Amino acid sequence: MKKLFTVATLISTMLFGAEIIVKGSDTMLNLTQRLAEAFSAVRPDVTVSITGGGSGVGINAIINREVDIANASRKIKSKEISSARSNGVNPVEIVIALDGLSVIVNSRNPVSQLTVEQIGAIYRGEITNWNQLGGPNKKIVLYGRQPNSGTFVFFREEVVKGEYSPAMRQMNGNAQIVEGVKADEGGIGYVGLGYIKGIEGIKPLAVARKAREDYISPADESKVRSGAYPLTRPLYQYTNGRPKGIVRDFILFELSPQGQKIVEEEGFVPVTQNYSERNNQILQ
Amino acid sequence: MGRKKLVLILALIAVVGLALEPGETEFEHNGWFRYTNQSTAFKIAEPSVSRLSLERGYIRLSHQWAPPFFTKMTVDIFSSDKYPEGATVRLKEAYADLAVPFLRDFNITAGLQKHYFGLIYSWDYTHPEKELADEQGVCASADYGVTLNGFLPAGLGELQLGVYNGEGYKYAGKYVNTSPEFLGNLRITTIPGITLGASIFTNSADMSPYKNDRKGRVTEGGNIYFMNADTANISRLAYAPMFKLAFGPFSLLGEYLGYSYTRKFSYYQINRDTLGNIIDSTLVEKEKDYRMNGLDLVPVVTLPGRAVEILGRFSIWDRREQSGDSMPLNRDKSFIRYGAGFNYHFIRREKGKPGLEFQFVWTRTQPKNSALKPTDVFLAQVRFEWSALVPKPQM
Repeated sequence: MKKLFTVATLISTMLFGAEIIVKGSDTMLNLTQRLAEAFSAVRPDVTVSITGGGSGVGINAIINREVDIANASRKIKSKEISSARSNGVNPVEIVIALDGLSVIVNSRNPVSQLTVEQIGAIYRGEITNWNQLGGPNKKIVLYGRQPNSGTFVFFREEVVKGEYSPAMRQMNGNAQIVEGVKADEGGIGYVGLGYIKGIEGIKPLAVARKAREDYISPADESKVRSGAYPLTRPLYQYTNGRPKGIVRDFILFELSPQGQKIVEEEGFVPVTQNYSERNNQILQ
Repeated sequence: MGRKKLVLILALIAVVGLALEPGETEFEHNGWFRYTNQSTAFKIAEPSVSRLSLERGYIRLSHQWAPPFFTKMTVDIFSSDKYPEGATVRLKEAYADLAVPFLRDFNITAGLQKHYFGLIYSWDYTHPEKELADEQGVCASADYGVTLNGFLPAGLGELQLGVYNGEGYKYAGKYVNTSPEFLGNLRITTIPGITLGASIFTNSADMSPYKNDRKGRVTEGGNIYFMNADTANISRLAYAPMFKLAFGPFSLLGEYLGYSYTRKFSYYQINRDTLGNIIDSTLVEKEKDYRMNGLDLVPVVTLPGRAVEILGRFSIWDRREQSGDSMPLNRDKSFIRYGAGFNYHFIRREKGKPGLEFQFVWTRTQPKNSALKPTDVFLAQVRFEWSALVPKPQM
């Protein structure tokens, strides 16, 4: 079936127009699909094919010239840039949205705020019961992503600051984490902001950098936008060299008011002024 | 305590010391099933070699103990006619990686690891035959040692500095001497698609495999006379400037190799009287200089869809050996080689995913002694690779 779809896509592209291939971050999958649908409405001659697999897979695909755009919820590493450049590929970075990585618990859990250090200790397996955090006497069940995920890497570097507990359940995507926590009163997970909007049965925790600092909810867009929310991160797209032709058109659409409105509708935060200026320099 | 022992003990401490926290474990299997047909001057029907073999059978276990700690071990199970079982096992990698604090993207690696020289460490067998330095015995692709290795900021390139045993991964124990090899390697990519680099290593003496060799032992009159005493290559120096050009579907990989050493060997000459009886033996010590230069070029064109790669190879190898005060070319062991082939990827190898490809190449090697006929090698190979994360017990 998948092959049939690929063949159909190829034939339609050959007959009717050009194709943009996008691969990578699962966090950005729904967002990019919405953007692609809207772009196709204004540019019906262009087909945008989008697949997930994780940020690492997307970056690897741009290094190997397999895709036009790599979606990544983490920054490209020096090793990856080096590998790309020696392969004749020049990765150029665009920020299309901001994400407040959200730590979620079951909505019946009375715990509503934690520090980054507490969350790290939970995911390292050092805190194992909610009663150690003022909650009920219930075992904490960890939900997380797989290692090819940019979110997995970002969370490990920024929050866990050590090794994930072997007890963590490695889920395929954000949606699976949401479903897991929803069904598990002792559950805790981390997902992109776009995956908590309007979902019942879970709640995002307010997070503070340190115990005496303000606890901020990722639902507070202004705090994500300003970077005050501790787990704010940019969502990247990488192209080989400065984007040109239809790839540039697509990225310009993503960054347009119409595109950024979709970013908001999908629960993410539009790019800030400083990222806009950086993007403009690349897209000029 | 010898420097080498210290290095190995430190490596061991590193490995043991890392077994502190549980983490992720990856299992990988990599195999090459190969048919080789080697003949003189294209007489394929009368080959000097015609064999099927499992050329490589890597089994690899990697474990990430914690973000800064990583260990890996690789064994190679492959066909070999040296053993009655028809196969053997070889240790290929066994090292621990420790991320360097305050030096982002740099690791200290200790143990049996890549030998960061020339093209040998990044040779990914797009061309299924060995890289020139590996093939000609300049150095091994892996060795025991300690390296500082990593990537320069902004993807500018990579740098490695290392201290190795110098004998290569095939030698351990009594074959390893106390002289370490020092190595430096740098690759820079300032313009995407143009990589320039250079490596150098120096080693005061490599292995002494014939030390105390008893093959030449003669026993007479209650005395034991050794005919062989010692052999070692001293003052080893190798350098290898390299380049890689990659533009769109075209790439060209190139390396120049320079290698020199002095072979120091000694033996006991048996002295006999006029009747042929052994009187005694005299230690004779000799030295002979060797100098080699080579060039290796591998152009590759990747066809649209990336399933097919067309590749070529051109190599030159000059081997000079001391004869009196001069260094004449050994024309029998010097050659020009050229050839072509293709790779077909049924499934492209991709990070964390399996790969399956068919490789076919032909190469012709013409010795510089024009009286010798060329050797043709046809090589067909199925190569596969897969890996999986070892599931962790749910707690």
